[in-house]
Amino acid sequence: MMNFTKIWQRRKDQYFAIALRYFRLIGNSGFMLSLYILFVMGSFYYARILKQLPDNFPASWLLIAVYAYLLTKSPVRTFLKKGDLVFLLPVESRMKEYFRHSIRYTAVIQSFSIVFFFLALGPLFSRFITDNPIEMLLTLALLLTAKVWNIKTSWEEQRLPFDQTRRNYMVIRLAVNAVFLFLLFQKAYVFILAILAIMYVLSHFFFGFIKKMHGYKWEHLLEIENGLMMKLYRIANLFTDVPQLSQKVKPRKWLTAFSKVPYKQRHTFEGLYRKTFFRSNDYFGIYIRLVIIGGLFLFWFPSGWWHPILILLFLHATGVQLLPLYRHHRGNVWFELYPVKHEWRFEAFQKWLRFLLLIQAFLYVAFLFLIGGTWMIGGLSAGSALLFVWLFTAYYTKKQIMRVM
Amino acid sequence: MKKILEVRGLSGGYSPDRPVLHDVSFNVHANEIVGLIGLNGAGKSTTIKHVLGLMEPSKGTSRINGKTFQEEPEEYRGQLSYIPETPILYEELTLWEHLEMTAMAYGLEEQTFLARVRPLLAEFNMENKIKWFPGHFSKGMRQKVMILCAFLVEPELYIVDEPFVGLDPLGIHSFLELMEKFKQNGAGILMSTHILATAERHCDRFIILHEGKIALKGTLEELKHEIGNPAATLDEIYIYASRGKRP
Repeated sequence: MMNFTKIWQRRKDQYFAIALRYFRLIGNSGFMLSLYILFVMGSFYYARILKQLPDNFPASWLLIAVYAYLLTKSPVRTFLKKGDLVFLLPVESRMKEYFRHSIRYTAVIQSFSIVFFFLALGPLFSRFITDNPIEMLLTLALLLTAKVWNIKTSWEEQRLPFDQTRRNYMVIRLAVNAVFLFLLFQKAYVFILAILAIMYVLSHFFFGFIKKMHGYKWEHLLEIENGLMMKLYRIANLFTDVPQLSQKVKPRKWLTAFSKVPYKQRHTFEGLYRKTFFRSNDYFGIYIRLVIIGGLFLFWFPSGWWHPILILLFLHATGVQLLPLYRHHRGNVWFELYPVKHEWRFEAFQKWLRFLLLIQAFLYVAFLFLIGGTWMIGGLSAGSALLFVWLFTAYYTKKQIMRVM
Repeated sequence: MKKILEVRGLSGGYSPDRPVLHDVSFNVHANEIVGLIGLNGAGKSTTIKHVLGLMEPSKGTSRINGKTFQEEPEEYRGQLSYIPETPILYEELTLWEHLEMTAMAYGLEEQTFLARVRPLLAEFNMENKIKWFPGHFSKGMRQKVMILCAFLVEPELYIVDEPFVGLDPLGIHSFLELMEKFKQNGAGILMSTHILATAERHCDRFIILHEGKIALKGTLEELKHEIGNPAATLDEIYIYASRGKRP
């Protein structure tokens, strides 16, 4: 007799062991220090920005947007594995017990994120919505109730056979969540009771039908689980090598023009690195995000000596995050077999990294002038950024890559 | 006859005290297809890895046109192309970009590349898929990409590892036809396979590996003679070599 509780527990323990190992690696890396500095400075300016907000600031809409996203996105961690498609498929009818653990686990974990955001957005909430502690607690309790409802209904939603129909049901949930949140932040508690009743009916009838009509969509569930696992791997991959990271490719056709290189043997790897940067995993996404976040910091911080330091901090972060691109195709036998000099491969990577960092530096310096920076700070930023990019690509990159190869 | 590949006294494996290959010697000449056959684990893939220069022999050498990989790495690699057993593709590149990158890596002139690539794409029914990413390819199509890349280079030596699995019958036909054509033009081909009926029809000579040693080698006639049964098929010779039983 199969003990599903035991299987589930073992899977959870395995996952925790992996996650812990990666978190330790992330904690030990130098990048953590940059993050910490940014966090401290960020919270300082967050408090300041809050004070400066005008009284007609649409705080409730911001809160609705944040929580509507958090509530609607409720993927269940099933801890399913590829092999289950063969080995657990025959006992599908008894999998209920297994999945019950998954749903409970998901509820606990995602409640944490609700509480976390509630604390982070607390100052905003108490200034614009209410600072009555009972009302605040009531709001948190209602948010958690809505979270559990979303997890349960989204779980039934995953039984639907087509992406399109699943999306339609998700839109229904999104609408219900938005109305719920609107009433909640208006403190219309009587109406909240009404919508809670509607939610109850929906989950028991509307979403209940799905449960009766459709079985588990195993491949889809595996895909979700895989996606959630990849999230962890992708974060960890920024700090260390994650062999399990499977490559998701987005064609991003509009960027293809930027990845063209002249047809020459010497440029073989340049084209590959450019295309990999634009299309694979999230190198491009990380780059854009870092550029934008850096820009926001430049914008928030009062003009002065902070600016060149911030620019160097973000150039360094981008450089470090893009280093794994060099190893992206490791283990690919063609790299070894091409009759192309090994140095050309490193040169190609170096050249592309330098180009990306220079673009980033250029954008920052241009932005500084745009928001009215002085020639002094602008010039200093440009000079130090150029020096940094040169040092980083000429020395640091080589050292790092030789160390890990 | 011109020797393209010359393997002499090759021993090697994944650890120095447990060699997989023991004193393996053979040649591949211009204008011939040599079949490398043997059971699972007989050492076919290890032999191929040594020839490609991906593994270093503990004893012996593998030379292409007289040079070893250690002496002239780029020249050595530039003279061969490899069709792996499991297709290896860049998930980030389209079919066309794979072909272009291969041509670039092997130093083909752009004109030569463009002149060769269209007929090859047509031959394998892949003309309308040049913008596809490997994520949308079936196993057979992935194999076709490997074949296209190899034939595009037109090297002197082809190293082919089990090319037929997953290919559709038309693809197999095209592959064999092109192989014959390049053989006529002076290439040498080393092909490992389990599909003995096809090997029997297309290979000029055979190397039968057993437990890391060459059990038998020669033309089909020579093999028949060696085991003393002029009516034997390659299947029977193979079973004899790997079991030691006379058919």
